[in-house]
Parts: sequence; C-alpha cells; structure tokens
Amino acid sequence: MLGIGRRGPLGRADAPEVGGLREAGVDDGPDGPVPWPASGGAVLGAERDAWIVLAGVSGVGPVSFARLVAAFGSGGAVLAAARRTGAVAALVAATHSPDGGSPTLAPSSAAEIVAAAFDATPLLAPVRRSGVLVITLADEEYPRRLRRIDLPPPVLFLYGDPAALDRDHAVAIVGTRRPTTVGRETAGRIADAVGGLGATIVSGLALGIDAAAHAAAVRLGTPTVAVLGGGHERLYPAAHRGLARAIAAGGGAVVSEFHPDTVPTRGTFPRRNRIISGLADATVVVEAGARSGALTTAAWALEQGRGLHLVPGRLDDPAVAGCLAFLREAGPEARIVSGIPELLVDLDLVWSPATSTTERRPGAVDGPSPGGTSLEAVLATLGPAERAVAHEVAAGRGSVDELVLATGGPGAMVLVALTRLEVRGLVLETFGRYRAAGPLASANAAGRPAVRGPHLSLRCPGLASRVLVYSYQFSRGAALPTSSHSESTWA
Amino acid sequence: MPLVLATLLSATLQGIAGRIVRVEVDVAPGLPGFTIVGLPDAALSEARERVRGALRNAGFHHPPRRITVNLAPAELRKAGASLDLAIALGILLGSDQVQASPGRVALIGELGLGGEVRRVPGILPMCLALGARGVRRVVVPADAVAEAALAPGVEPIPVADVAEAADALRARRSRRARPVALPRAGSPADGTGLPADAAPDGPSTVAVREATVVDLADVRGQAVARRALEIALAGDHALLLIGPPGVGKTLLARTIPPLLPDLDDAAALSATVVASAASPIPVVDLVRRPPVRTPHHTTSYAGMVGGGPRMSPGEVTLADQGVLFCDELPEFGRDVLEALRQPLEDGFVSVVRVGRSATFPARFTFVAAMNPCPCGQYGAADRTCTCPPGVPERYLRRVSGPLRDRIDLWVRLDRVPPEVLLAGLEPEASAVVAGRIAAARQRQRARWAETGSGGRLQARALRSACAMDVATEGRAIVLAEREGLSGRGMDRLLRVARTIADLAGDVAVQPPHLDEAARFRSPVDRMAMWRAG
Repeated sequence: MLGIGRRGPLGRADAPEVGGLREAGVDDGPDGPVPWPASGGAVLGAERDAWIVLAGVSGVGPVSFARLVAAFGSGGAVLAAARRTGAVAALVAATHSPDGGSPTLAPSSAAEIVAAAFDATPLLAPVRRSGVLVITLADEEYPRRLRRIDLPPPVLFLYGDPAALDRDHAVAIVGTRRPTTVGRETAGRIADAVGGLGATIVSGLALGIDAAAHAAAVRLGTPTVAVLGGGHERLYPAAHRGLARAIAAGGGAVVSEFHPDTVPTRGTFPRRNRIISGLADATVVVEAGARSGALTTAAWALEQGRGLHLVPGRLDDPAVAGCLAFLREAGPEARIVSGIPELLVDLDLVWSPATSTTERRPGAVDGPSPGGTSLEAVLATLGPAERAVAHEVAAGRGSVDELVLATGGPGAMVLVALTRLEVRGLVLETFGRYRAAGPLASANAAGRPAVRGPHLSLRCPGLASRVLVYSYQFSRGAALPTSSHSESTWA
Repeated sequence: MPLVLATLLSATLQGIAGRIVRVEVDVAPGLPGFTIVGLPDAALSEARERVRGALRNAGFHHPPRRITVNLAPAELRKAGASLDLAIALGILLGSDQVQASPGRVALIGELGLGGEVRRVPGILPMCLALGARGVRRVVVPADAVAEAALAPGVEPIPVADVAEAADALRARRSRRARPVALPRAGSPADGTGLPADAAPDGPSTVAVREATVVDLADVRGQAVARRALEIALAGDHALLLIGPPGVGKTLLARTIPPLLPDLDDAAALSATVVASAASPIPVVDLVRRPPVRTPHHTTSYAGMVGGGPRMSPGEVTLADQGVLFCDELPEFGRDVLEALRQPLEDGFVSVVRVGRSATFPARFTFVAAMNPCPCGQYGAADRTCTCPPGVPERYLRRVSGPLRDRIDLWVRLDRVPPEVLLAGLEPEASAVVAGRIAAARQRQRARWAETGSGGRLQARALRSACAMDVATEGRAIVLAEREGLSGRGMDRLLRVARTIADLAGDVAVQPPHLDEAARFRSPVDRMAMWRAG
C-alpha cells in the first residue's frame, strides 16, 4: 500500500489521513502500475494547455490525472468530456481504481474541471504571466530520474535551466529548518564536496540546512535545484527570494509541481519531498529532529530505491534525534555518514578500489582514497607559522590561547595564520573556537582505525573487528599480533 | 550717599561653555527691596540672601534701598552661584561704599554668609570665554587661581573674601601678572589635573580609580582580547568583548588607563574644560591623563548624553579624549544606546531641550562588554546555554544594527584553559603595550594632522592611507568575498588593518595586517552572509 501523506511512504497506514490526502490532491495509489498515456511524442499546443489546466485544478494529483487521461485518451478529451452534461459524475467515475476501489477524484474537484473546461483562462493566465517554463511528463526534457519514481508529477513548472534537473549526478541535501551552527556548516561542507565533484545539489529552499546547501552550491558556482512546496509567485519562505534568484541565475533551477500562484500549505510540503528525493541519486539528511519533514524525504528516497545517507550526531541531541531514530529503524539501506570523504565514496562520486563497495560508476573521479591524504602532505603547502598552527588545530587545540601556548608565537602571528588557514578551508571558527576542516580534518581522520586496512569490509563482522584490533595496536606502535592470537580473542 | 548704576562683568556656565554676563546693579530710592531679573535659576535667586549676609558680615552694609540687579543678555538662562561676587560688588559700587572705576574687570565667585569667596565649577571655561573677549583681569576665588590661569590671556586676581575683592577693584591696575605657562606633560603632577590630596573624583562621578587599575602582566591568556584592546586604543576603534561571565571582560577594561598615552596640549585643554565644569573641586593643572568612564547600565539618557536643568555634560562628554567603557552593553536602555551613535560618528553630542540647546565634545574610544545571551553560556566550550531558542540572537539585537555597524573589533572570549593559566609564559606588561600604542598614535598624527586618528577615517582617505600594493588589494578582495563583506565591512577591515600596520611601524598595509584584521570580524557580517546565501 503506497501512500503519500505527511508521514511519507513509511507513515503508519492506520493514520487517519484520508481527508488530508484528498486535500493535497494525492491519494492512495492503485495496486497496479499507474496507467500512463503512452509517451513518445511531445505534448503540443491545446493538449499541452489541457495538461496544465488539469494539473492546476486543486484536488487533481498524479493518480487522478493519470486515470483521467487514461480513461478519456488525452487531456483535451478530458476537457471535452467535461463540457458534456453529467460530466461531474462521469469524471469521478473515471477515477475508480481498476480493481473497483473508491474514486480518487472528489466531486468538488470534478466540478472545478468542468468550470475550467468552459473557461481555462483563470488557470492558464497566471502561468503565462509568470513566464515559468513548463515541462510535461510527455516531454523529452522531463528529468529521467523523476520519470522513474512512482507518481511523477505530470507537469513541472520551473525557472532557470531545465538541464540542471537531468545532469549525471544529483544529490539531495535536506535537514531541519532550525539547525545548529555545526549542522549548518556540515551541510555547507557536504554541498561543497559534492558540488565540487560536479554533482547537482537538490534541496527544498527551506530555512536552515536546505538554505545552507543551496548557498554553498551557489557560492561554488555549481548548479543547484530548489523544489518548492508551492507556486513560484508565492515563494516560501519569502526571505529566500534572493537565494532563489541566485539559483536560477547560476545555471540551476527552481522547480515546482504547483501552478505559480498556488499558496503553500501544510500538505504541499510532504508531497513535494518525493520530488526532492526523486530528482536525486541519493539523499543526505544532515540534521533532523524527531518530527522533521526531512525524514519524509528520507523515507521517499528509500521508497524510490535511491540512496539514503544520514549524518549522525550526539546521543540525546534533539537536533539529530530523527536521524538516529531513522538509522535504527530503517535497516541497512540507510547509510551512516562517517565522514565527508567516506560519504563521497558511498555516493559513488569518488571511486577507490580499496573502499568502494560497488562497481566503478561511469563518471566517478579517482579521488584520493579517504584517509589517504596524509597530514604532512596537506601541511607541506603551508608556511612555517601556518603549519605549526594547523598542526595544533588538527590536534584539537581550539582556542587562540591554547594555540599561543602550544606554538609559542605571539597572538598576532596566530591570528594571521588562522585567517590564512580559514581562507584555504582548513579550519572553521565557531564562537572564537577553531577546528580542523576540509583536507586537514580528513587527514586527521586518517588516524581513525575504521578506515585503515586495504581489505576492510564491514560486511564481515569478524574481519572488521580483527582489523580494528590490528589498527588499534598498530597505531600504538605494538607489533602486529598473529592472526591466531587475534582470532582467539575475537572470533 | 550718591547712588549710581554699577556695571560689572561676570560669567556663568552653560553646559561646559562659559558665557559672559553683564551684571548691572541699580540702587535706587524707594521701598527697600532686592530684585534679580534676567532668567536666574533657583540657586541664583537665592544669591539675594547670600549677598545680604556676606555684605553685613564682611563689614559693609546692605543699603535699605530698592536694589535691582539686571543680568544681561536677558534671554540667557543663568545658573549657579558664579555671579554672587559680581552682584555684591555691584551693590557696593552702586551704594558708593566702594569708590572705583574698575574698567574691564570680571568677577567670578560664590559668596558664603561670612563674606568668603568660594570656588564654583567651570572657572576655566568661564575664564576662556572672558579671555576670548579680551577681558584680561578676572577676580577669582583664591583656591581656583591656578585653574583660571590655565586660560590664555587671563590674569587671575585671587581673592579670599568680599573685602579683598573690593581692594582688587580699587587698585587701578593689578600687579603685572606673569604669563602662566601651560604645564608640560611629565610635570610632577599626577596628570589628573586635580590636587594630589583630593579624592580622584567626586561622588557623582564614576571614573576608574587608581586602586582598581590592573596591569596587563596580571592578565593571563585572552591573547585575542589583549591584542584587540591594543588595536582599539591605538586606532580609536570601537571594541566589543563578548563572553560568558567571569572570563575577564571587566578585568581587561581595568587595564585601560595605563595603556593610554598622555594628551597633547589641545586635547588636554579640552579635557580640562570638561573636568573644570564637572568637578566640585578646583582643577590645579591641565588634565594630561585621558579620562576612562565606566557608567553603570542603569545610567539614564540625560546621564549619558547630558542635559538636565543645567544642561550638564553627560558620560560621553566626561569621557571626551579618553575611553568610555560600557559593561553589560545590552542592559543599557535602548534610547541610551541609540544616543551613542552620534558621538561615535561625529565626536560630539547635541543636546536639545525646549528653548535651549548645547553641543558637547564627545570624542572617546568606545569599549563595551556583554554576555552572549541572558544566561551567559551561549557558545561556551564547556557549558550549555539554557536560553530558549532565538533568545541569544534577540539579546545581540538589543544592540541596534547602526550601533553594531560602528563597532570595528569584535572579540569572542571564553574561559582560559587551566594549562594556559598555569603556563610559564610571562604576559607583556602594560608599559610595553602602552609604548606601542603611543608610537602608533604618533605615526597616525604625523599622517593625518588634520583628520584625526584611524577610527574616524572615511572611505577615500582610508584607501589612500592604506597605500596597498596590488598583492595586498587582492588579499583584501579574497577576504571580503569570503566574509561577504559590505562596503562598510570593507572599510572596517581596512581601518583595523591600517592601525595594525601602525602598531607594526609599517608605512603601507600588508597582507598579514589584513589577515589579522579579519579575525576581529563582526558575527553580524557572517549572519548577513548566511542570509544572502
């Protein structure tokens, strides 16, 4: 049973959501495949207008849309049928599911279709006036990834470059609207790393994590796609008007399945989340509270068979409660983000023979294997003062006072070095405390046992724990234990 | 007893400026009476009783006539008791108890009932006003003669009581007074301009006392804040220290007085005028040490900018040529904080009341401290903030955007780690830092003889003063783009970099100066970066 509700596809089936579903225009889907009209040619002229009109009627979701078009043959035929007497009943009847379920179209929506059939101007004029691009499911340009999901939106409206929806790699980065500073920065770093490898960043233009991901992509100059929960003319949140403009101007796209003047409501955002995950190869959730809408996106990603990666956090931290709960509940498909280099490998953006668990994907770059960047290699590019400061920051000295003490340099020297490291993306500052970032952070992560060893496979618990023992003792400078000794301890 | 109209000069204090008052005393036949006309305030109206008593007890008599005292100009509100002596001598001249044609002589002083002449606040600005109008001979209270002598062109005649004042008028000419040289910096005086045995300040003032001054050598850790303080005092930059309670914000503020260099002659005279007007005890010397004012956050609007019935100067004016330190900045009243914008921008403050207005000098270095949030722990490394979400942001916004814009240096302080507290590093002493500050200020003065110091530089003058080469300009652009700096933010960066270069003794701003300046950025700039995306 597939449902699109506020809780997403993994929402409890017994939840009383039927009313809300009708309102949102999406409802219980058919048990069989949705009978889509044969696509093959572009929808042109009057037929295209008919699709726009049907998609703009409140209460007509992808399922009703598909059944109507299938029942009457084309969008134009639906409207022609709506002009005949008794049309409301006929339209409602046409949306009965094949196995005799209840109709998905409410009589009020059918009445709206009838009204639009006689005068389509109220629905078409705002679309033309706003100048949004229209892409229908029958068009060649319809994004391939989105076409493959259940219930793809029949019509997409967008500003910007439609090509941004269909680039080779796309990663969705979503999260709470009220992130911590660290969460915001993490989102930006992931977007930097992912966008830097040429992938499109998909997100929802919401406050918080979404905005941080979009902003990082805009700064980087890489295309990014914002999926709206309402119409383009009713941009929500209005504070992100400038960000939306920058996205559209920077080769990205601001896209919505809603007519430009659609007011976003509580129901429209969960519905839009299926498009966010559907436009991406994988979804990364950075911070999500227990009831965060980002979890709907995560659930959709699993439902659509896409990758899902969740950034963990401290136990008991409400900002990540949703991520942790999801990691526990969702099973092995939900991956944990143990570091940005590891994430890049998991996303198949970076291919490394040692750690990639999948076949090499076309287009993946030969990145340095995670943990392969040595601290010394990063430091070699720096001046002596910066090197000394970078060393201490990587060792966890966070305050300027500690750095002054550790390097013995005057305060002014430490400050200059910190700015230089920050500009190179090697340190990050929060409230006057510094921590390693970028290559410095991942070089530091090389010391972590879990990514050591060329034959490490987490699929084999016994092997993994043996490697852990090796790495641990190796890092302590002890001699390698014999394998029998190791197995007698752990096997 | 021939009755004549007597005219004498005196002066009163309006705000911190002396205003010349012509005292006309008419002793006429008629019903005995004593009227003062010409907008006297309450203290001046009571001059009738003081003058009557003083004349009787000094061996003169108060004539039983119709005495009318007119104070010209009539529209000027006269305040205080500085006109007592002139009124009394006017009565003596008018009733012919003293025969003299004093010529251009002015009298300043308050009378006691025993006939003694007492000091009033503001002797120096009054003498400056008189001297500027060519009045050379000024009769002043004996204990204020040194203060009066600070006014160029004025020959003060010290008198202890009414009888001596009468003698002074009878003398055709005073002894040829020696020109009094301005005391040099480094004179034995302590530089406060106040007598050595006097309390450093009166009950109404809150200047930092010597006893509470801390040497920088006693401050361990807080390297960023120390450096920021040095830059702020060297370049006249506004500095804001943000940190949890107990990390040493107030302690750092107490290190300020010994870091400030002595005032030059013009600044010292300006500071002395303020001290003279505000101090209840006589000023004996030029104020060479810059004032450091630390008003409490309950200070009222009038207390901060000045005003009140007598248009008294406020804290911003008392801090003129020195430092104004506002602890717990967001706790100050909103209107009080807003009032700081004008002096921070212009170096003076205008106080306008119905029918009256005054402009006070208020050129001070602004140093402020605050907690990051009401509970104080927001962003602290080792504690958790218990404020509800959004409250820390609102707390910062209590300091309005325009005021935050004027703050060049933002420093985030945190608790000093114990290993730093116990480390063997010997922190620099105040004297060393003060030497660098004085040298930097010297370089600035040499460069901008007319525009003042670095904190006040505006865009174009700033660019030319920085004298950046192509590489440095490129660095500035990289930093500005990274931080998402506005034009104002860029100016801030360059101003601070200019001062850092001055501290280093460099003629041109170099990339390292910019790199260091970037560390004192405002968190508001970063917020703007998030918003702009």
